[in-house]
Amino acid sequence: MEEQRLDEMSLGDILDESDAREVKRRARAAGPRQHRLRRLLRPEPLFWGLFSAGGFVAAFLVPIHVAILGIAFAAGWLPSRAFSYERVQHLAHLPLVKLYLWGLIALPLYHWAHRFRFAIYHQFGIQRWRRFIAVACYGTAIAGTAIAAWVLLSI
Amino acid sequence: MRTDMAEETIPLKVARYRPEHANEPYFDEYRVPYREDMVVLDALNHIKDEIDGSLAYRWSCRMGVCGSCGMMVNGKPRLTCSTFLREFYPKRVVVGPLRHFPVVRDLVVDMTDFMEKLKEVKPWIIRKEEKPVEEGEYLQTAEEVDAYKQFSMCINCMLCYAACPVYGRDHEFLGPAVIALGRRYNLDSRDQGQTERREVLGVDWGIWDCTFVGECTVVCPKDVDPSAAIQREKVATTTDAMLSMMLPFKGRA
Amino acid sequence: MSKGEGARYPAYVPEYPRSWWLHTGPYRRFAAREITSMFAAAFSGLLLLFLLALSRGREAYEGFLRWLKLPAVVAVFAVILVAVLYHTLTWFRLTAHIQVVRLRRRVVPTSVVITGLLGTWVLASVIVAYIHIWF
Repeated sequence: MEEQRLDEMSLGDILDESDAREVKRRARAAGPRQHRLRRLLRPEPLFWGLFSAGGFVAAFLVPIHVAILGIAFAAGWLPSRAFSYERVQHLAHLPLVKLYLWGLIALPLYHWAHRFRFAIYHQFGIQRWRRFIAVACYGTAIAGTAIAAWVLLSI
Repeated sequence: MRTDMAEETIPLKVARYRPEHANEPYFDEYRVPYREDMVVLDALNHIKDEIDGSLAYRWSCRMGVCGSCGMMVNGKPRLTCSTFLREFYPKRVVVGPLRHFPVVRDLVVDMTDFMEKLKEVKPWIIRKEEKPVEEGEYLQTAEEVDAYKQFSMCINCMLCYAACPVYGRDHEFLGPAVIALGRRYNLDSRDQGQTERREVLGVDWGIWDCTFVGECTVVCPKDVDPSAAIQREKVATTTDAMLSMMLPFKGRA
Repeated sequence: MSKGEGARYPAYVPEYPRSWWLHTGPYRRFAAREITSMFAAAFSGLLLLFLLALSRGREAYEGFLRWLKLPAVVAVFAVILVAVLYHTLTWFRLTAHIQVVRLRRRVVPTSVVITGLLGTWVLASVIVAYIHIWF
């Protein structure tokens, strides 16, 4: 500790040092700054763009689909042919429908991935493995996207 | 000391931190004469003048433009010069130092982190080439001023930092006011420093750490709306990135 | 009580509570809003299971339809519905807050933008429902 220097420092400098140290301690606890990419060509705009698109799809289209598939069908409010195997097969073969369903399934996954990633950082306070957490979240969304494509193509 | 007949009083519970006496903060209770036009700052001034001169706190203009008197009043970040006691009377008012900052003494916090971050975002006009004085002023239309005016109203009171849980959790986060001020200059038609500032704002601990909780906008005494500024900066940065990927030459958003 | 020249005064830095998101109304509502994304993702998963059953043939598909009628499953969907509706509401509020809409030089108030978004959403839902059920 620099006890001798203290006599020469003004109170302002002492405070600056003690709290700059505290600020640095917290930053260090959060993870080494230099490991975080500083380049402009970062993936963050892409993730945020996908999150935004996913949020849009989830807001506009998901509620009605949940209501139809989850509630209306079980309650018997739908005409009997609505979910008949033949009709659904026919619809699911249309390329436009496949594309729509792919977007409906995949985009909300990126919305979830982005929000969940930051929930882990901020609400669970896990700052240490930021890179791993990001990869796990977006990786899950990418896996879901791939599986959805595979299933839709096999119908 | 002036004593009115049947004087109304209001109790105050004020946070104290005196490291030369104790390691932990504690509370002192005071009873302050109450008038309808009094603000919390008036109560603190009364305490310092008449009851306990050792109380330490910051204040200056006492009219809501300097940003010095930000403190926690009943758990919310407020400017004490603009918070009327009648909002709480006759209940007790609890005054504490601004949250999320190191407490130096009593109600005084260390602003160093904020000041350093503010410098990082370069809150001044950046020009590739300065116009010589003889050529006159930079002219702006009313619309050009409107584009950034709201974000220029920031008085650096740091209430938004006290409200922001992301900053509370992670002090690396640049924070609402700094990003809003960065955007203020990015939007200024006289400024040519967007790229430089985007490098500061576009990092992990810049705009991307914000999850749009929105509390910063709620507590801002000057209606700067920092959360909107941050999200719009995200939109602009994302659009910029998409354009620069699709077009070989730089596109500006 | 002075410690002499150059006395050090350590600043007090409280630890940030891990449960901060439970502490105030606005923070709790924020946390609820973020959690709705899990339910939207859950529906993606369920829809995927539906399509998987479809791709496996008639038996698998009709088995899935029977599973959809179970009360426990309906309850899950009901919870998901509440969550995604909250997402829709908050998403429109946030969008109206960010996007400044100008109509002939005058700024449209956020409440009007939100109403417009909700109206568009109802229209979209009706169109989707029509195609889904009757087309």
